[in-house]
Amino acid sequence: MRLGMAIEMKRCIGCNACVLACKAEHFLMPGVLWNRVIVSESGKYPVVSKHIYPVRCNHCAEARCVDVCPAGATQQRDDGIVWIDDAKCVGCRYCMMACPYQVRVFYSGENEEYFPGQGLTEPEKLGQKLFPHQKNVVEKCNFCMERIDAGLAAGLKPGVDRDCTPACVIACPTKALHFGDMDDPYSEVTMLVKEKRGRQFHPEYGTDPSTFYID
Amino acid sequence: MIQSRPYEFMVKYTPQKEWIERRGILLWLAFFFIELGAGMFFVSSFYSEKWAALTGWLICAVLGGGTHLLYLGHPTRFWRMLISSGWKKSWISRGLFFVSAFLLLGAIHIGLLFADTNMMPLMIAVDVFAFLTIIYGGFAMNYVNGIPLWNTALLPILYVVSGLWGGAEVTLAMSLAMGTDTIGPSVEEWIRILLMGFILIMAVYLVSVRYGSKAGEVSIKEIAFGKWARLFWIVVVLLGIAMPAAVVITSFSVGLEATPVPLIYIAVLCGLLGDLATRYLILRVGFYHPLVPSSVYTY
Repeated sequence: MRLGMAIEMKRCIGCNACVLACKAEHFLMPGVLWNRVIVSESGKYPVVSKHIYPVRCNHCAEARCVDVCPAGATQQRDDGIVWIDDAKCVGCRYCMMACPYQVRVFYSGENEEYFPGQGLTEPEKLGQKLFPHQKNVVEKCNFCMERIDAGLAAGLKPGVDRDCTPACVIACPTKALHFGDMDDPYSEVTMLVKEKRGRQFHPEYGTDPSTFYID
Repeated sequence: MIQSRPYEFMVKYTPQKEWIERRGILLWLAFFFIELGAGMFFVSSFYSEKWAALTGWLICAVLGGGTHLLYLGHPTRFWRMLISSGWKKSWISRGLFFVSAFLLLGAIHIGLLFADTNMMPLMIAVDVFAFLTIIYGGFAMNYVNGIPLWNTALLPILYVVSGLWGGAEVTLAMSLAMGTDTIGPSVEEWIRILLMGFILIMAVYLVSVRYGSKAGEVSIKEIAFGKWARLFWIVVVLLGIAMPAAVVITSFSVGLEATPVPLIYIAVLCGLLGDLATRYLILRVGFYHPLVPSSVYTY
């Protein structure tokens, strides 16, 4: 099994629902983003194009972050998910340097409150219990592996069943994000990539990303 | 750090920040001290200069190792880098192994030097690890293929030359200060060769990066004509290269004995400042390519 994602660019409206879903799912602190929607413009007036790219960890098959981690904290599972064991992370940030997509963040613990100086709100307190984040370690998207693991244990299928699919994919109102097993030739994500000629993000880096973009 | 406009992230040429801003500044100092100390040890070991070797060892262990540890998010977990299998592919992990081996064997070697004994096989082993200690930082940065300024084979060579050059300079200054200047002319030859090598490699490095990629071009323009131009031209070129070169030419013409000692000290200080500034610039203007197509290519 190789879990991956396909993103239909024409469907993405840049609403940031995926970003908020991720924040809510993992109780991310202020300033910490595991995924982003980046927007750029190219061309000159009157021929101008707007580009909206939802980006997150590509869970590369040849992940450079895994290679460079000196402490073995960044690991790759058999299903291709690249994750960080924050109990092992020494905070050297070499993985952040090595990632050409710059999708990792360092959480220094400086900004804990969404309302600075007013203490933690009840949801923030709850988040610290449900999804505690270690300070001074690197974080990134983990394809909601807790959801996937729980879903697989319950006999569900990634990308098909809601409880076995990343939060960002579920939240997308235009169904621009697709998730599933890239090794399964009949999975929705594989069919989409084949039929609509999905392309990897910056293949020149030689990382073989598991996220595909469909123009 | 909270970004005011997260949607513009990586739309332009984006400089790396984690290895130079805030606590990242410690990493800049760590690489400098580690390589300077190991370089000093390497050069002084050829002359059995025990005090210079000890000073190099201390610079590497205390200043280099200390700043390295302080930089880490979790310094108390540093031992994980030794016991994990990260050394198979990670240059940081390999670096820790090299530094540890250098410091351990180096301590034994210095101990023997103070007992007026010199074991040649041990000295060779220590020098090998000292050399690897100097070079690993360059390889660690060279592995980062997203930053063209770093992703060049010339970077480790530049770091080796600058580490040895700085080490030779401080060794010379120490020998002059302690009155053991019998090694002076010989170390001066090291400095002449390394300085010429540094100038040559630096020039080739900058030109090759400039014409290698667009992000490389942005980096070099930022160094030579942009925000950091003053630091480059005044500290790196004028103080760090021209000043030591002038003193080297003077000593070559009139002899080291006839060269005023304060001038040599000033040249050593300027050389070290230039080395520090060079490393700062290389870390500071390490630009990543934009992830998405954009007309806005300004920094």
